[in-house]
Amino acid sequence: MTEEYDVEFVETGDRKARFLVRGVTPAFANGLRRAMVADVPTMAIDEVRFIENSSVMFDEQLALRLGLVPLTTPPEGEFVDGDTVTLSIDVEGPGTAYSGDLVSSDSLVQPAEDNVPIIDLKDDQRLEAEADALIERGKDHAKHQGGVAVGYRHLQRVEVEGDLPEFEDERSQIVRGVIEDDGELVPTSEFDDDLSNRYPGKEVSVEDVPNAFVFHVETDGSFTVDELVTRAVESLEARATELEEAVQL
Amino acid sequence: MSYKCSRCKRDVQLDEYGGVRCPYCGHRVLLKERSRDVKEVDAH
Repeated sequence: MTEEYDVEFVETGDRKARFLVRGVTPAFANGLRRAMVADVPTMAIDEVRFIENSSVMFDEQLALRLGLVPLTTPPEGEFVDGDTVTLSIDVEGPGTAYSGDLVSSDSLVQPAEDNVPIIDLKDDQRLEAEADALIERGKDHAKHQGGVAVGYRHLQRVEVEGDLPEFEDERSQIVRGVIEDDGELVPTSEFDDDLSNRYPGKEVSVEDVPNAFVFHVETDGSFTVDELVTRAVESLEARATELEEAVQL
Repeated sequence: MSYKCSRCKRDVQLDEYGGVRCPYCGHRVLLKERSRDVKEVDAH
Protein backbone atom coordinates (compact mmCIF):
# COMPACT_ATOMS: atom_id res chain seq x y z
CA MET A 1 0.00 0.00 0.00
CA THR A 2 1.55 3.21 -1.14
CA GLU A 3 -1.37 5.43 -0.18
CA GLU A 4 -1.41 6.80 3.35
CA TYR A 5 -4.24 5.32 5.36
CA ASP A 6 -6.44 7.29 7.65
CA VAL A 7 -9.08 6.42 10.24
CA GLU A 8 -12.03 8.60 11.18
CA PHE A 9 -14.79 7.74 13.65
CA VAL A 10 -18.40 8.31 12.70
CA GLU A 11 -20.00 6.78 15.78
CA THR A 12 -18.30 5.46 18.89
CA GLY A 13 -19.52 3.40 21.78
CA ASP A 14 -18.33 0.71 24.10
CA ARG A 15 -19.76 -2.17 22.15
CA LYS A 16 -20.72 -0.59 18.87
CA ALA A 17 -18.82 1.73 16.56
CA ARG A 18 -18.72 2.99 13.02
CA PHE A 19 -15.49 4.23 11.52
CA LEU A 20 -14.10 5.18 8.15
CA VAL A 21 -10.81 3.80 6.88
CA ARG A 22 -9.25 5.42 3.84
CA GLY A 23 -6.40 4.18 1.72
CA VAL A 24 -6.84 0.42 2.14
CA THR A 25 -7.59 -2.13 -0.57
CA PRO A 26 -10.84 -4.12 -0.58
CA ALA A 27 -8.75 -7.20 0.19
CA PHE A 28 -7.35 -5.61 3.30
CA ALA A 29 -10.77 -4.38 4.42
CA ASN A 30 -12.16 -7.89 4.10
CA GLY A 31 -9.11 -9.35 5.81
CA LEU A 32 -9.73 -7.06 8.75
CA ARG A 33 -13.40 -8.03 8.88
CA ARG A 34 -12.55 -11.71 8.84
CA ALA A 35 -9.91 -11.26 11.52
CA MET A 36 -12.48 -9.54 13.76
CA VAL A 37 -14.97 -12.35 13.30
CA ALA A 38 -12.77 -15.42 13.40
CA ASP A 39 -9.31 -14.63 14.65
CA VAL A 40 -9.66 -12.80 17.94
CA PRO A 41 -9.73 -15.27 20.84
CA THR A 42 -12.47 -14.94 23.44
CA MET A 43 -13.54 -16.87 26.53
CA ALA A 44 -16.54 -19.20 26.41
CA ILE A 45 -17.75 -22.17 28.42
CA ASP A 46 -16.58 -25.41 26.83
CA GLU A 47 -17.22 -28.13 29.38
CA VAL A 48 -19.92 -28.44 32.01
CA ARG A 49 -20.15 -30.79 34.97
CA PHE A 50 -23.73 -31.25 36.16
CA ILE A 51 -24.11 -32.00 39.84
CA GLU A 52 -27.87 -31.66 39.77
CA ASN A 53 -30.28 -30.93 36.98
CA SER A 54 -33.90 -31.60 37.73
CA SER A 55 -35.08 -29.08 35.16
CA VAL A 56 -37.08 -30.09 32.12
CA MET A 57 -34.10 -29.81 29.83
CA PHE A 58 -31.33 -32.27 29.05
CA ASP A 59 -27.84 -31.63 30.39
CA GLU A 60 -26.48 -31.45 26.84
CA GLN A 61 -28.88 -28.70 25.82
CA LEU A 62 -28.14 -26.68 28.93
CA ALA A 63 -24.42 -27.08 28.32
CA LEU A 64 -24.91 -25.70 24.83
CA ARG A 65 -26.80 -22.72 26.21
CA LEU A 66 -24.16 -22.04 28.84
CA GLY A 67 -21.54 -22.15 26.09
CA LEU A 68 -23.26 -19.34 24.23
CA VAL A 69 -23.20 -16.94 27.19
CA PRO A 70 -20.70 -14.17 26.34
CA LEU A 71 -17.92 -13.87 28.90
CA THR A 72 -15.56 -10.96 29.34
CA THR A 73 -12.13 -11.76 27.99
CA PRO A 74 -9.09 -10.70 30.00
CA PRO A 75 -6.44 -8.41 28.48
CA GLU A 76 -3.92 -10.04 26.21
CA GLY A 77 -1.07 -11.76 28.00
CA GLU A 78 -3.18 -12.73 31.01
CA PHE A 79 -4.21 -15.98 29.40
CA VAL A 80 -2.76 -18.19 26.72
CA ASP A 81 -4.53 -20.73 24.52
CA GLY A 82 -5.63 -23.67 26.60
CA ASP A 83 -6.02 -21.89 29.95
CA THR A 84 -9.31 -22.47 31.73
CA VAL A 85 -11.45 -20.58 34.22
CA THR A 86 -14.10 -22.30 36.31
CA LEU A 87 -17.58 -20.88 36.77
CA SER A 88 -20.37 -22.32 38.84
CA ILE A 89 -24.12 -21.94 38.95
CA ASP A 90 -26.61 -23.01 41.60
CA VAL A 91 -30.22 -21.96 41.19
CA GLU A 92 -33.31 -23.40 42.78
CA GLY A 93 -36.84 -23.02 41.46
CA PRO A 94 -39.30 -21.45 41.24
CA GLY A 95 -37.55 -18.84 39.13
CA THR A 96 -35.33 -18.39 36.14
CA ALA A 97 -31.63 -19.13 36.05
CA TYR A 98 -29.86 -16.23 34.38
CA SER A 99 -26.31 -15.79 33.15
CA GLY A 100 -25.87 -13.40 36.08
CA ASP A 101 -26.17 -16.39 38.43
CA LEU A 102 -22.86 -17.73 37.15
CA VAL A 103 -20.15 -17.24 39.75
CA SER A 104 -16.66 -17.02 38.33
CA SER A 105 -13.44 -18.03 40.02
CA ASP A 106 -11.63 -15.22 38.22
CA SER A 107 -12.76 -11.61 38.39
CA LEU A 108 -11.44 -10.97 34.87
CA VAL A 109 -13.80 -13.53 33.38
CA GLN A 110 -17.43 -12.67 34.11
CA PRO A 111 -20.67 -12.98 32.18
CA ALA A 112 -20.75 -9.93 29.91
CA GLU A 113 -24.51 -9.73 30.31
CA ASP A 114 -26.42 -10.56 33.50
CA ASN A 115 -29.84 -11.08 31.95
CA VAL A 116 -29.40 -13.95 29.50
CA PRO A 117 -32.03 -16.52 30.53
CA ILE A 118 -30.69 -20.06 30.78
CA ILE A 119 -33.69 -22.03 31.99
CA ASP A 120 -36.98 -21.50 33.73
CA LEU A 121 -37.20 -23.61 36.89
CA LYS A 122 -40.45 -24.70 38.49
CA ASP A 123 -41.05 -25.73 42.12
CA ASP A 124 -38.49 -28.23 43.43
CA GLN A 125 -36.39 -28.03 40.30
CA ARG A 126 -32.75 -27.25 40.72
CA LEU A 127 -29.76 -26.60 38.55
CA GLU A 128 -26.31 -27.00 39.98
CA ALA A 129 -23.33 -27.16 37.70
CA GLU A 130 -19.71 -26.27 37.31
CA ALA A 131 -18.30 -25.13 34.00
CA ASP A 132 -14.87 -24.64 32.48
CA ALA A 133 -14.41 -21.68 30.19
CA LEU A 134 -11.54 -21.57 27.80
CA ILE A 135 -10.05 -19.16 25.33
CA GLU A 136 -10.35 -19.98 21.64
CA ARG A 137 -11.00 -18.36 18.29
CA GLY A 138 -14.16 -17.72 16.29
CA LYS A 139 -12.99 -20.16 13.64
CA ASP A 140 -13.05 -22.97 16.21
CA HIS A 141 -16.62 -22.34 17.29
CA ALA A 142 -19.09 -19.47 16.82
CA LYS A 143 -19.38 -19.04 20.61
CA HIS A 144 -15.80 -17.72 20.56
CA GLN A 145 -16.64 -14.90 18.16
CA GLY A 146 -15.83 -11.57 19.76
CA GLY A 147 -17.13 -9.52 16.85
CA VAL A 148 -20.76 -9.92 15.90
CA ALA A 149 -22.43 -7.94 13.12
CA VAL A 150 -19.12 -6.86 11.64
CA GLY A 151 -19.31 -5.44 8.14
CA TYR A 152 -18.24 -2.64 5.87
CA ARG A 153 -19.52 -0.57 2.98
CA HIS A 154 -17.93 1.74 0.53
CA LEU A 155 -18.06 5.38 1.48
CA GLN A 156 -20.50 7.11 -0.91
CA ARG A 157 -19.70 10.49 -2.37
CA VAL A 158 -22.79 12.58 -3.08
CA GLU A 159 -22.61 15.56 -5.40
CA VAL A 160 -25.34 17.97 -6.37
CA GLU A 161 -25.59 18.04 -10.16
CA GLY A 162 -28.17 20.81 -10.36
CA ASP A 163 -31.88 21.48 -9.90
CA LEU A 164 -34.57 19.00 -10.85
CA PRO A 165 -36.55 20.00 -13.99
CA GLU A 166 -39.49 22.22 -13.07
CA PHE A 167 -42.37 19.76 -13.46
CA GLU A 168 -40.60 16.56 -12.50
CA ASP A 169 -41.89 14.71 -9.47
CA GLU A 170 -39.52 14.23 -6.59
CA ARG A 171 -38.44 10.60 -6.39
CA SER A 172 -36.94 9.01 -3.35
CA GLN A 173 -33.35 7.82 -3.66
CA ILE A 174 -32.42 5.30 -1.01
CA VAL A 175 -28.81 5.06 0.11
CA ARG A 176 -27.63 3.19 3.18
CA GLY A 177 -24.35 3.69 4.98
CA VAL A 178 -22.36 6.88 5.29
CA ILE A 179 -22.14 9.61 2.67
CA GLU A 180 -19.47 12.20 2.09
CA ASP A 181 -20.78 15.63 1.31
CA ASP A 182 -18.07 18.25 0.77
CA GLY A 183 -15.71 16.34 3.03
CA GLU A 184 -18.34 16.02 5.76
CA LEU A 185 -19.35 12.51 6.88
CA VAL A 186 -23.07 12.01 7.35
CA PRO A 187 -24.72 8.71 8.33
CA THR A 188 -27.71 8.14 6.07
CA SER A 189 -29.91 7.45 9.09
CA GLU A 190 -29.86 11.21 9.73
CA PHE A 191 -32.09 11.79 6.71
CA ASP A 192 -34.04 8.55 6.82
CA ASP A 193 -31.77 6.89 4.19
CA ASP A 194 -33.41 9.01 1.51
CA LEU A 195 -31.31 11.52 -0.42
CA SER A 196 -34.43 13.40 -1.55
CA ASN A 197 -34.97 14.42 2.09
CA ARG A 198 -31.52 15.94 2.31
CA TYR A 199 -31.45 17.56 -1.14
CA PRO A 200 -35.06 18.45 -1.97
CA GLY A 201 -35.51 19.59 -5.56
CA LYS A 202 -31.94 18.75 -6.52
CA GLU A 203 -30.47 16.24 -8.87
CA VAL A 204 -27.66 14.35 -7.18
CA SER A 205 -25.10 11.78 -8.21
CA VAL A 206 -23.80 9.04 -5.95
CA GLU A 207 -20.56 7.16 -6.41
CA ASP A 208 -18.31 4.91 -4.35
CA VAL A 209 -15.17 6.54 -3.03
CA PRO A 210 -12.33 4.20 -4.04
CA ASN A 211 -10.48 2.53 -1.20
CA ALA A 212 -12.56 4.16 1.52
CA PHE A 213 -14.58 1.80 3.70
CA VAL A 214 -17.00 2.46 6.51
CA PHE A 215 -16.82 -0.34 9.04
CA HIS A 216 -19.67 -1.15 11.36
CA VAL A 217 -18.47 -3.18 14.32
CA GLU A 218 -20.34 -4.65 17.24
CA THR A 219 -18.90 -6.86 19.96
CA ASP A 220 -20.66 -9.48 22.07
CA GLY A 221 -19.41 -7.80 25.23
CA SER A 222 -16.21 -9.80 25.55
CA PHE A 223 -14.26 -6.56 25.16
CA THR A 224 -14.71 -3.06 23.82
CA VAL A 225 -14.76 -2.29 20.10
CA ASP A 226 -11.34 -0.62 20.40
CA GLU A 227 -9.92 -3.78 21.87
CA LEU A 228 -11.49 -5.97 19.19
CA VAL A 229 -10.15 -3.91 16.29
CA THR A 230 -6.68 -3.61 17.82
CA ARG A 231 -6.46 -7.33 18.46
CA ALA A 232 -7.72 -8.11 14.95
CA VAL A 233 -5.07 -5.87 13.43
CA GLU A 234 -2.43 -7.48 15.63
CA SER A 235 -3.47 -10.94 14.47
CA LEU A 236 -3.22 -9.81 10.83
CA GLU A 237 0.20 -8.40 11.52
CA ALA A 238 1.31 -11.62 13.18
CA ARG A 239 0.15 -13.61 10.15
CA ALA A 240 1.95 -11.30 7.76
CA THR A 241 5.15 -11.57 9.77
CA GLU A 242 4.84 -15.33 9.90
CA LEU A 243 4.40 -15.48 6.12
CA GLU A 244 7.33 -13.15 5.57
CA GLU A 245 9.58 -15.34 7.70
CA ALA A 246 8.30 -18.54 6.10
CA VAL A 247 9.11 -17.46 2.53
CA GLN A 248 12.62 -16.24 3.27
CA LEU A 249 15.11 -18.17 1.25
CA MET B 1 -30.25 -50.06 41.07
CA SER B 2 -32.42 -47.44 42.65
CA TYR B 3 -35.98 -46.94 41.42
CA LYS B 4 -38.98 -45.02 42.62
CA CYS B 5 -42.49 -46.41 42.68
CA SER B 6 -44.75 -44.25 40.54
CA ARG B 7 -47.76 -44.85 42.86
CA CYS B 8 -46.43 -44.65 46.41
CA LYS B 9 -43.30 -42.60 45.51
CA ARG B 10 -41.09 -44.77 47.75
CA ASP B 11 -37.56 -45.80 46.88
CA VAL B 12 -37.38 -49.38 45.68
CA GLN B 13 -34.34 -51.64 45.44
CA LEU B 14 -34.69 -54.31 42.79
CA ASP B 15 -32.94 -57.66 42.91
CA GLU B 16 -32.79 -60.28 40.18
CA TYR B 17 -35.43 -62.59 41.76
CA GLY B 18 -38.16 -60.23 42.89
CA GLY B 19 -39.34 -59.14 39.43
CA VAL B 20 -40.43 -55.63 38.59
CA ARG B 21 -42.77 -54.84 41.42
CA CYS B 22 -42.93 -52.41 44.33
CA PRO B 23 -42.60 -54.41 47.61
CA TYR B 24 -44.69 -51.83 49.50
CA CYS B 25 -47.76 -51.39 47.31
CA GLY B 26 -47.35 -54.00 44.57
CA HIS B 27 -47.42 -51.44 41.79
CA ARG B 28 -45.65 -52.56 38.63
CA VAL B 29 -44.61 -49.16 37.32
CA LEU B 30 -41.20 -48.06 38.61
CA LEU B 31 -39.28 -44.96 37.62
CA LYS B 32 -35.52 -44.92 37.35
CA GLU B 33 -33.95 -42.12 39.34
CA ARG B 34 -31.20 -39.91 38.00
CA SER B 35 -27.80 -41.09 39.18
CA ARG B 36 -26.11 -38.92 41.77
CA ASP B 37 -22.86 -38.99 39.80
CA VAL B 38 -21.54 -35.77 38.40
CA LYS B 39 -22.14 -35.80 34.67
CA GLU B 40 -19.59 -34.22 32.42
CA VAL B 41 -20.84 -32.73 29.16
CA ASP B 42 -19.09 -30.93 26.32
CA ALA B 43 -20.62 -27.62 25.35
CA HIS B 44 -19.92 -27.94 21.63
